[in-house]
Amino acid sequence: MFSGNFKAAVSSLRASKWRSLLTMMGIIIGITLVVTIVSLGEGLKRQVTGQINQLGSDVLTVRSGKLVSRDKKGQVQSVNILSLFDSSTLTAKDVAALRAVRSAESVTPMAFVTSTVSSSSGELNNAYVLGTSPTLPDLLHQQIAYGSFFTAGSNQKFAVIGPNIAHKLYGALNPVAHTINISGQSYIISGVLKESPGGLLSVGQTDFNSAVFIPFEHAANLTGGSVNIVQILLKSKAGDTGATIRDARRVLLANHKDREDFSVLKQEELLDVVNSVVNRLTGFVSAIAAISLLVGGIGIMSIMLASVSERTREIGIRKAIGASNRQILNQFLVEGLVLTLSGGLVGVIISLLIFVILRLYTDLNPAITPAIMISAVLVAVVVGVIFSIAPALKAARKDPIQALRGD
Amino acid sequence: MALIELRDVSKVYGFGEASTLALDEVDLTITKGEFIAVMGPSGSGKTTLLNVIGLLDRPTHGSYILGKKPVSQLRVRQRSKLRRDRIGFVFQSYNLIQRLNVLENVALPLAYRGMTPVRRWRAASDMLERVGLRDREYFLPRHLSSGQAQRVAVARALINKPSIIIADEPTGNLDSFDSKVVMELFADIHRQGNTILLVTHNPELTRYANRVIYMYDGSIVGDEKTAIGSLARGARRIYFNRHKRTPEDITAGVSALMHEVPGKEVTSAPKRRRRAKRKTRRSKSATR
Repeated sequence: MFSGNFKAAVSSLRASKWRSLLTMMGIIIGITLVVTIVSLGEGLKRQVTGQINQLGSDVLTVRSGKLVSRDKKGQVQSVNILSLFDSSTLTAKDVAALRAVRSAESVTPMAFVTSTVSSSSGELNNAYVLGTSPTLPDLLHQQIAYGSFFTAGSNQKFAVIGPNIAHKLYGALNPVAHTINISGQSYIISGVLKESPGGLLSVGQTDFNSAVFIPFEHAANLTGGSVNIVQILLKSKAGDTGATIRDARRVLLANHKDREDFSVLKQEELLDVVNSVVNRLTGFVSAIAAISLLVGGIGIMSIMLASVSERTREIGIRKAIGASNRQILNQFLVEGLVLTLSGGLVGVIISLLIFVILRLYTDLNPAITPAIMISAVLVAVVVGVIFSIAPALKAARKDPIQALRGD
Repeated sequence: MALIELRDVSKVYGFGEASTLALDEVDLTITKGEFIAVMGPSGSGKTTLLNVIGLLDRPTHGSYILGKKPVSQLRVRQRSKLRRDRIGFVFQSYNLIQRLNVLENVALPLAYRGMTPVRRWRAASDMLERVGLRDREYFLPRHLSSGQAQRVAVARALINKPSIIIADEPTGNLDSFDSKVVMELFADIHRQGNTILLVTHNPELTRYANRVIYMYDGSIVGDEKTAIGSLARGARRIYFNRHKRTPEDITAGVSALMHEVPGKEVTSAPKRRRRAKRKTRRSKSATR
């Protein structure tokens, strides 16, 4: 009976093509939006997770603010995302104090500055400038395409640039040994990074491909003294992260006068934070997109109610020849289901097209998985069932005699 | 054997001062194999009677026994099941579903029984062959003439092999030729042992029935047998099954009427095989 209802549903949709298409538009738009947003979030998570995993399990991240709440055993209970947006409480003094920690093999600060970057052939406003130490490329397993990363103890003002900056300012020219102007100060380009998988919310909340790296000590020169240290990476000696965490906390609490306005996170805890941020962001934006699904569902209910009224006589005939209320209900439920299922499939196909366009023409890296597509289609089915029940019940409860009169 | 028994059945619509007595304590017994024509002026309760017998409506008072089982107080689901299995409807305005083709319309009642598509289409095709419309299987109802549409409706009513066929003015929208074709079809169906209940305004059509009921103001005011109905049962069987030899016999019946439509062939009645005579003692001795 289901296949018969399915064929009848398809033929009744084909009988009024334009009406069916317009009815499906709400579902198509809703599914397209939700799938695109979720796939963008998924892609972002993969990017960030990839870079964090590159760090290795012996690297700890010190960040400003109390990002996580822990229980008595020290396990993470919840994530406080809003701390990410507070101003940084980490200072150069903290960096110096952490460098004295014996259990830390290396200390790599990342101070974030927004500056104007220019060369003889171009200028970039609001470019990302990261003040860091020479241990950064090894820690992140970041390779250099041309030249080398600046070394420690050098008094010369050297800078390393990302491939996007090199392309924008120098085109096809090799920028190594050229001069770059950062907020009025001249730096010599010592190297160009290879393409990095880093993105927003990744290490340093920066896309490394579009960043300029200068020695940490010179970052204060660009901002007139104070630096905004986004995070400090600590590599543990001999993989003993427990000891490094204890020592780091002790040192930072001493610097911050026993105020725990910082977080020392292991790799997996950092991943939890990042995943939590991305999930909440994705969920919030998807919820807004899902409003269009709700509107689409209401549209379907409205059209189905009109269809039931138009087909009152047909319902009477079906009941007269032996259809039960349940069979009439199923017939109209299947029609609603076919509408939303078709809309869901079209929405997923459009999402795939958008996915291809974004990958080809933008820097975004969305990731559409089969799970996302199947979930989208299932959501469309659920919407179809929910919003078709009322019209289907109305059809099933019609009196056959009244219906045959066409009332 | 009584197939349908109505005892003191009344149907009231509305309530209080706005109520209408559509059926007024009707007593009716219908035996299996009867062809009953119901006549009466508009508003006499004919359609209400058919709706009650056809389980489309429930009587307000009284009892309705169908095949020895009381059905007047059945639930909606049980009534629709009985309607599906035991009753076939033919309406004045054909009531075919316009978006389905002829084959699908005829097969629809079988779909509600859960039959697979291939089996029900095969059964529907055989039924269309019986009513002479097999070559119109894939036509939509709007591509049929009124007579053809009504024959499709009759085929749909017969597909489930119902005990009773209820026809509410089946010839009301047809011309005289199509009316005759449809009535001959009903007569064929009746000859095969089906029970038919037919509402009509046309007294000429009562000659096909073996009993006529007259209704007025919700009551049965007349109930008489027709000429065919007055024949003894055995004689009626002979009349229906006699070997057709005369030209008038050949041109009678639906298949013969189809002969008047270009491109259709006459299907004559099959020849009866004569039983071999039994040899008695006298005939044996005569041959010696």
